[in-house]
Amino acid sequence: MAFTPGQPVTAVVQRIEIQKLRQGDNLILGFSIGGGIDQDPGQNPFSEDKTDKGIYVTRISAGGPADEAGLRMGDKIMQVNGWDMTMVTHDQARKRLTKKNEDVVRLLVTRKSLEDAVRQSMTRP
Amino acid sequence: MEFNGEISDTDSGIILHSGSDSPTTHTKDVTTHTRAMKLKHRDLQDRLEICILELKKLCIREAELTGRLPDDYPLLPGEKPPQIRRRIGAAFKLDELNIPQGEEESELSLVDAELALQMKIYEAARKLCEEHHTSKAVRKSRLLQRKREEKKLKLLQERAFQLRLEHGRSSPLPAFNIAQQDLGTSDDSSLSDSVVQDEEVTSQSSQQSLGGLLCPAEPDLPQPPPEPSHSFVDGPCMSPSAAPQSALLTPSQSPRPSLESTQSLNSSPAYDLPPIQHSPWTESSLDQPYQKSKKSRSSSRTSTPTKTELLPPLEACLPPSVQLSHLRLSRAQSNSTPSTPEIRVHRQLSLRLSNPESSFDKERGRVRGPRRRLTDVTITLPETLPSAVNYGNLANSEDSNSEHSFTSYNSSPCQEFPCSSPQPAFPHSSPVGSYGPQAFPRTGFYHNPRHQSSPGFHKAYYNDEMVYPPDLDLQRSYYAQPAPSTSSRYEYRYKDAPVPHQRAQRPADIRLSPSPAQWDHPHYRSAGLPQQVVTEQLKSWHRRSQLKAPRSRSLDRQGAVRVKNMAARELNCYANQKYHGQVNQRQALQRSADDSQTHWLVDDGSHYMSQV
Repeated sequence: MAFTPGQPVTAVVQRIEIQKLRQGDNLILGFSIGGGIDQDPGQNPFSEDKTDKGIYVTRISAGGPADEAGLRMGDKIMQVNGWDMTMVTHDQARKRLTKKNEDVVRLLVTRKSLEDAVRQSMTRP
Repeated sequence: MEFNGEISDTDSGIILHSGSDSPTTHTKDVTTHTRAMKLKHRDLQDRLEICILELKKLCIREAELTGRLPDDYPLLPGEKPPQIRRRIGAAFKLDELNIPQGEEESELSLVDAELALQMKIYEAARKLCEEHHTSKAVRKSRLLQRKREEKKLKLLQERAFQLRLEHGRSSPLPAFNIAQQDLGTSDDSSLSDSVVQDEEVTSQSSQQSLGGLLCPAEPDLPQPPPEPSHSFVDGPCMSPSAAPQSALLTPSQSPRPSLESTQSLNSSPAYDLPPIQHSPWTESSLDQPYQKSKKSRSSSRTSTPTKTELLPPLEACLPPSVQLSHLRLSRAQSNSTPSTPEIRVHRQLSLRLSNPESSFDKERGRVRGPRRRLTDVTITLPETLPSAVNYGNLANSEDSNSEHSFTSYNSSPCQEFPCSSPQPAFPHSSPVGSYGPQAFPRTGFYHNPRHQSSPGFHKAYYNDEMVYPPDLDLQRSYYAQPAPSTSSRYEYRYKDAPVPHQRAQRPADIRLSPSPAQWDHPHYRSAGLPQQVVTEQLKSWHRRSQLKAPRSRSLDRQGAVRVKNMAARELNCYANQKYHGQVNQRQALQRSADDSQTHWLVDDGSHYMSQV
């Protein structure tokens, strides 16, 4: 996610659909997020670019819905159900993800391995 | 041509080949065979020539790239090896230092390799820029090129730096990376320019040509005398990557207070310190309920506990700004009487505008039962709305739903039968009698949806299309509805809209989802009708209400709309329909009951099949 000001940001994204797990009153997603425009991006251990204030997946509970859906630790969440996640606060992201009236969240995530794979296939056809 | 002789001498081969014993064929075979062999020979020769040509081409290409003609070049006796002009700037010898060893850091090494190459490219571009005897156009283009390469170089450096930040703490780094390593590992505020400067000093002392190398990174500095071009081809004496990098880092770093170490590390001027202070980077699990109390939401949440289950205040699920007057009206009405369909339409549509967040918060305090109903009802809505809009006007956007006026929609049969008593056959008479035309344009309805339901249409409203999960409350609530007016629509729905059915798992579009339209339904509870019929009925209501143009209040309002919006050929068809409907209006009473029953049966079957 190299980013030059004024240039469009491009990212290779993967679509991930997480079926929330209902457990009593709350919905289980099975992962944790970190980041957001209100948090210090420099401390984010996952971001490539230390100024990136995006939302990152910091933890995946094994066997949880997110794990099953193929989400990985360190993924950067770009969208949630079509909502942008690259310029939101931490709480906004949380809310988008944990809406109680939605049983499914669809994410667009990007991760380094994805970009690398695409780049490799482009450089070595 | 010893080939030919061999074969012509010996019959045996021919015999073997042909497998025939007759001598007459032998002679014949010999001649044909030699001819065939000659042909084959020529063919092979041609192919050899082609291959040689290809090889030559490849060799020349290789020579262009490497500057040396490979030994494999096929030289005919007397032929001189071609003069190869090497392409300028195509060959770089990369610094050994810059090429990382080991595979454990594949990502980093990849970037490093790229970086090393880019340094050379940039160097070349810079050298080209310095040539004075070129024309203006050439120089301009070279300048551009240089700038481009410089930008690329900076990007790569940044990238490599970031990567190193990640990997660097554990893995040993080559010497030229010391500066970056230091910058990356110092998390505290002790970072100062001295680190960079020290590194500059050391690299300066160790590298002769450093002075020349600082310039590429800092084009504003006075340029040193250009070096002879050969020196840039043999690289080892040239730039260690640390030199330009530290040069890049210094200018952006020195003027800044070293408070935020990681921020100030970036060489790009775009990354300035943010005006707001960040809270420390934290993570939050999405599995536990949210603890942090948000004052912005507190207002909507406080109203929650006071709600009753049947008729909670509508304001609770709406942000104060949204259509309050409208809602109050409908709420007042709904309190006085069991709500009419008209009111329901009002509510559902206006509630669709409600803020998802607030409803989300509201739900937190509520019991599970009512909330389930809420979502279920919500789900039926979005499916009908888009199609209804499209029915009238294909170009309409989905957002225009809210612009329609629904007050004129007062003819729904359910209005007459808000009771919860199951009366399957009897109630049909009165609504059909009074709304005959509405009940009978069956085929017309049948045609129209076909007209509209192109694949593109379904795709366009993909997000809005929802399928209703089995929703008992809803079904019961509309039990008392007369069937005749809707039977044709059932058919249509099942035949034309299988796609939404299959999308049962899609969540509601966020904009549409939070409409908590269930308040009225408990009034309508009764048992016994197939779920699908009722949801369809609800949908058809919406469609009709959407279809209605604001002005047309006549009995056959569907007709009116259709005349307005449909293509001419369908208009014709409709006219028949309308006429038919009027004629049949009186017979509707008798016929409708029977018709409806059979239709329902059919519909159920198709529904279950489509779900399988």
